[in-house]
Amino acid sequence: MYLSKMPLNRRRRGAVKLLSSPQAMHAAVQSAFAPGSFVESEGRALWRVDELGRDGIALYVVSPVEPDLSHVVEQAGWQTGEMWKSVEYGGFLAGLRAGQRWGFRLRANPVHSVYKSDKAWGDTKPVAHLTVKHQQTWLLDRAAKCGFAIPDGPQHEAALRVVDRSTLKFNKGGHSVTIGTATFEGVLQVEDPVLLRSVLTNGLGRAKAYGCGLITLAPLGIG
Amino acid sequence: MTALLIRLAGPMQAWGASSRYSRRDTEQEPTKSGVLGLLAAAQGLRRTDELAHLASLKFGVRVDQPGSLLRDFQVARSLDGKKTFPLSYRYYLSDAVFVAGVEGESSLIEALSSALKNPTFPLYLGRRSCPPSFPLLLRTSDESLEESLRRFPWQAAEWYRAKQAPRVALRIALDGMDGVEGDMVKDVPVSFDPRHRRYEWRTVVDERMDVENPSSRIRGHDPMAALGGS
Repeated sequence: MYLSKMPLNRRRRGAVKLLSSPQAMHAAVQSAFAPGSFVESEGRALWRVDELGRDGIALYVVSPVEPDLSHVVEQAGWQTGEMWKSVEYGGFLAGLRAGQRWGFRLRANPVHSVYKSDKAWGDTKPVAHLTVKHQQTWLLDRAAKCGFAIPDGPQHEAALRVVDRSTLKFNKGGHSVTIGTATFEGVLQVEDPVLLRSVLTNGLGRAKAYGCGLITLAPLGIG
Repeated sequence: MTALLIRLAGPMQAWGASSRYSRRDTEQEPTKSGVLGLLAAAQGLRRTDELAHLASLKFGVRVDQPGSLLRDFQVARSLDGKKTFPLSYRYYLSDAVFVAGVEGESSLIEALSSALKNPTFPLYLGRRSCPPSFPLLLRTSDESLEESLRRFPWQAAEWYRAKQAPRVALRIALDGMDGVEGDMVKDVPVSFDPRHRRYEWRTVVDERMDVENPSSRIRGHDPMAALGGS
């Protein structure tokens, strides 16, 4: 597995296009892998765009093989210095142990299922959770199955925060797609390393093609 | 010399310096005329009253939370529906927080401070529809205005701090002394008389001050840090 980080230059026209359309970003990330370089069963390419404050924007990708992002650099990156960085992720994943605590960040598409109308039982559709409370509950409900727990913390460094909520709207093959997203940040405690490893490489929740579902971990104490 | 600090914070504020007719602008920060007008209202001065004692105060503003620009397209008719008023664009600052200050003779500053505690007329942030959401008066001190502004703690809201960098530069706009280079603004009130409002020019000098922001969430999450740093 590889974790890659690529700074995006938001002043470039290509970056505007990629940032405004998850569909276009999905295509760009998919094209970073040669056809047949990995199969579904080995995992998938997950990505997420993070705002880094004044520093700018970065694209993170987790993938079974090393990506070649040079076409994204051409459209939307910086062509000087380090254009992107890919590091081997497997060693880190193998080092996860129960009881460890990490800072995490996740952009997800929290949804629940509702019946399309009162009468049509059995006919359901996914509807986005819109409030912070529902979105947090959504994640907490999944934590155990994903091999982690959210430890209790004092209020000012709450272990689970929703730092951004937004709705993505874009066109896909002539019809419009709407995805409600929530960005979670906080502290997690590893409970089941095997389950967590699988979530870190396969993603959590829906809309994984559109920048949702990638959980990243960072050491605590640096932010 | 004594300085008086007030906090200008509310859902909406509007500080027009040069608006005319149906387009009512707002500046990025409170105007001297707006704040002196507010002090005059606290003292119970009428629009036609003499205000030379206020115009001689030294004025400064610190931008603690710049807020965002809000445009209101306003249509209005008279109560009986017969008369239609001109369509107008009104601009506001929403969610802004400023610390404004004046400096002058101690006796005058004391008088203004007690007037703010017990104002004669309702006080608002530049436009009648913009009430303040916090008590205005912060404190008086014997320091200079600039010193006083620099000493006073950052007033931004917690949600705003969280979105800022770990170190934030606040802008301070101060009245410039004679002969100093700076921006020119025509907002020194000579008369608020509705029949003939008059304003004079003043020079505004920009300064910066850095504040630490421990509430920042931005330095945030660096997944590469767990893998040897980015």
